[in-house]
Amino acid sequence: MDTSNDLKGVWVFGDYRNYFQNRVTLQLIAKARDLADKLNTKVIALALGDRVHQWAMEYVAHGVDIVLAAEHPDLKSYQVETYCSVVAPWVEAFQPQIFLAGATSFGREFFPRLAKRLHTGLSADCVALEVDTETGLLLQTTPGFGGELLAEIVTPDHRPQMATVHPGVFQERPHNSEAVGRILYPDVDVVPETRVKLIRSKRQQTRQIKLEEAPVVVVGGRGLGSREQFESLFELAELLEGEVGATRPVIGSGWTEKERLLGQTGKTVKPKLLVSIGASGAVQYTTGILGSETIVAINRDPQAPIFNMADLGLVGDANTLLPLLIEALRKRI
Amino acid sequence: MNIAVCIKQVPDVPSIRMDRERMTIIRDGVESVINPLDYVALQAALDLRDRQGGEVVVVTMGPPQSEEALREAVAAGADRAILLTGPAFSGADTLATSHVLAAAISKLDPFPDLVLCGTQTTDSDTAHVGPQMAEELNLPQVCGVNEIHVEEDYLTVKRLSDGFVETLQVSLPALLTVTQELCSVGHLPFGDLEVAFSEREITQWGLKDLELKEEEVGLRGSATQVWKLSAPPPKREGDLVSGSPQILVDHFIRKLEDLSILDEEDGYK
Repeated sequence: MDTSNDLKGVWVFGDYRNYFQNRVTLQLIAKARDLADKLNTKVIALALGDRVHQWAMEYVAHGVDIVLAAEHPDLKSYQVETYCSVVAPWVEAFQPQIFLAGATSFGREFFPRLAKRLHTGLSADCVALEVDTETGLLLQTTPGFGGELLAEIVTPDHRPQMATVHPGVFQERPHNSEAVGRILYPDVDVVPETRVKLIRSKRQQTRQIKLEEAPVVVVGGRGLGSREQFESLFELAELLEGEVGATRPVIGSGWTEKERLLGQTGKTVKPKLLVSIGASGAVQYTTGILGSETIVAINRDPQAPIFNMADLGLVGDANTLLPLLIEALRKRI
Repeated sequence: MNIAVCIKQVPDVPSIRMDRERMTIIRDGVESVINPLDYVALQAALDLRDRQGGEVVVVTMGPPQSEEALREAVAAGADRAILLTGPAFSGADTLATSHVLAAAISKLDPFPDLVLCGTQTTDSDTAHVGPQMAEELNLPQVCGVNEIHVEEDYLTVKRLSDGFVETLQVSLPALLTVTQELCSVGHLPFGDLEVAFSEREITQWGLKDLELKEEEVGLRGSATQVWKLSAPPPKREGDLVSGSPQILVDHFIRKLEDLSILDEEDGYK
């Protein structure tokens, strides 16, 4: 069967090292499906590693038409140069139109080097992707200047059109075990990077924080004034069966762990309810909460930009209101 | 150890303006600072040089006013500074920018043992230029480094990558991009301003010095184009309530009921 035409479609780099990367890959597959349907082409996912069959099956179940797989002991650890030695020749041979990767640590280190080798354009950490109906070009929306503006980037003449995508902006499709797809193992010539050696890799020891899945997220900002005040958010979050998030100044002050950071350099959440307390609403933060179904904001300053995006804004002092809210909720639950 | 540090002068975010015709950011006339993570890279380079010997060369591509950033770096202790400037360089994406910077690094004599950059800049936040230079210079790369230890003829570095703490050995020459955690720099000492502003020459290299063609650099050498610039998505039209704490708490509780997060209480006032 001649697959060469099918392989020219929309490619997604399969990044599966941990739960978070696994999810962003599935989100990208869903988006790639939309784009491919509009362009009347196929979705192709890449799976590289020492054993990748289970990932290839997972990608098919989430909507991929073809998986390009490579199994080799040297592909076991995520190494930029080694991965380039496999993926760059594939791109040159099969000529995809579009190539997407999650903006994970690895994606953001691997894709720039790959794009340079392929001499093509790359946009970083996109928050939206669309096809321009007139030109068929991929419109890649990326925040600039700390989110002060959004730029739509295009790659008019170079191929593939490459982009890394912010985790959490697209919704993955449900797992469909009936789905049918092909898994191909093209010839590979793995060239291991010998100049960089991974000596040790240890999973970072942190408490599991699943902000992205919490139905309610309570976010604290600098306006809380102290670590003690920030910690009282945990009580409120617990009463609402939610999780606690934080803005960059809070992380900078060391009031809580980095994993709670929301916004452009942190996580994107889409809870049923987001309660923002003592955060003025800098765009770096609000880009991470735009998808929330309902936003309730508490801030002392009626002019605070956070009120522009709140469904309910309460003008008041966070530290006065917080104990009262906790008390009122205790009475009700 | 000879180290090249690539820095970028970034505009002060609140005062940015756009060239609507060319759809690029106008950098002239906007107050500018050295990109914060590039400060970290510079400080690390100066520390390494002080312990290992060698020299620190600072390189930047930008309009003539970027010379200020280089002067600041020289005042902090850099040995040499090179400004890559010329009208052809403007409007560059990361592909074209890394091409010019890589051409300049290749021209350095001696070729540096280590190239350091901040992981990303505050203006465009791509984190592309470091790895793209490494590719063009055929150097090994490690991005997001937060610890550097010098061994005999290699470096041991640490970083956090996707939830894993990684320890890596990198042979030299190499390119590293560094994060805020590398060292707490704060503000660099002003250093010897007289040295910075009078004695030391800032070398300037243009298109011809780098033996590049116009179509390889700037807007023409870029693979990406800005199609449209826009402000972030539309605002929500919500209710803004002020009043006594009790009124605010009541509104909050009522909202929770509306969303069925709290069950509606019988006879709630």
